Amino acid sequence: MVKCRRRWPIHLALLAVCFVMLVPFYWVLKTSISGENIFSYPPNIIPRDPHPFYYVDVWYAIPFARFFLNSVVVSALTIVANVVLNAMAGYSLTQTFPGKQIVLMLFLSCMMIPFQATIIPAYLITGKLGLLDSYLGLALPMFSTIICIFVFKASFDAVPRSLIDAARVDGLSEWRIIWKVMMPLAKSAVATNVILSFIWSWNNFMWPLIATRSQDMQTLPLGLARFISYQEDTTGALYAFCIMVLAPGILLFLLAQREFVQGLTTGATKG
Amino acid sequence: MSFEDDLTRSRWKRWLVNRFVVVPGSLVILALVWNAWIFTHNHGVIASRVIDASGAPVEGAEVKLWVFNFTTFAEQASTQTKADGTFEFTKNPSHNIQLSAKKAGVGRSPRIAVRLYFQSEDIVLKRPLQLSGAASD
Repeated sequence: MVKCRRRWPIHLALLAVCFVMLVPFYWVLKTSISGENIFSYPPNIIPRDPHPFYYVDVWYAIPFARFFLNSVVVSALTIVANVVLNAMAGYSLTQTFPGKQIVLMLFLSCMMIPFQATIIPAYLITGKLGLLDSYLGLALPMFSTIICIFVFKASFDAVPRSLIDAARVDGLSEWRIIWKVMMPLAKSAVATNVILSFIWSWNNFMWPLIATRSQDMQTLPLGLARFISYQEDTTGALYAFCIMVLAPGILLFLLAQREFVQGLTTGATKG
Repeated sequence: MSFEDDLTRSRWKRWLVNRFVVVPGSLVILALVWNAWIFTHNHGVIASRVIDASGAPVEGAEVKLWVFNFTTFAEQASTQTKADGTFEFTKNPSHNIQLSAKKAGVGRSPRIAVRLYFQSEDIVLKRPLQLSGAASD
């Protein structure tokens, strides 16, 4: 009880921070159902005459269902590839091999290079593979991310070495050790990979803009840009579109937030 | 639920009864129900009635249907009211429409905006179109 009383300033501060962080989301949500001019003064805290019709406008103004499907397919490909490839890469980094430090240094230094700097080679390679304007081509540059490799590595490092040795003695191949022994113990790392790769893929604008040619292959961020260029008086509909784009990411995060936080903090206290 | 409780559940229950399946599954069911509702209620029927300033039904009034056409509302169709003042449009293609009515010697109604939850939604308007002021044409 005494502890709880002492903690109230911390809780108060946390509530204040939460309020500051949530106000923009509330404002977007409120505007999406009221269409209120964002410059109106004094602003209304409670939405006046709320209605869902801006969402209906968005649904029919652009081929929303098609863009949504494209985003879902590209994100699903990205998630699967990230979990599989990053798990393999992360496992290999827990092993001892010649040049491991160099590989680690290369990974760390490659993290400093922004995607914009590698976009031309990425485009040329995707073009040579004949994957431009395809789902696979849209997902390809996001198939593996270094941060997520390190998330898996940290999680695998926390698994006792004796467990892996026991699995080897039992005759398991390295491949099966990853999937039968390591992965069930690294659920939080999997959740972190799923959420991060989903969000990065879902919000990606630059690569789909370059890699798509037909309207049928465009993803939601491109649809949003197109929607803005279509109509001028779109305050309510624009915010409704933002909510529709944000909703799947928020839902996924809320579903897996416990594992996500565990995944990010695994190995944080390792010496 | 504790880890031990979780282990006592059967394998298929552990796979199916968890938040990663239940929440997306519920959303899919919701979407299917909504689409079934749309499929059975999208004949484009709009029905209502026209009354005069005293509330009496108006026969032979011309009612126009305006459909949102990218930036403006364009006239889509027109019809006449029956003896009891009712009218009906069929094959409305839009979700964002306006209705107006007029009759020479009785008056005209302002255009009323009607927002629908999906394109071609069947709807019976509760508020009738009310004519006021004499319309010369």
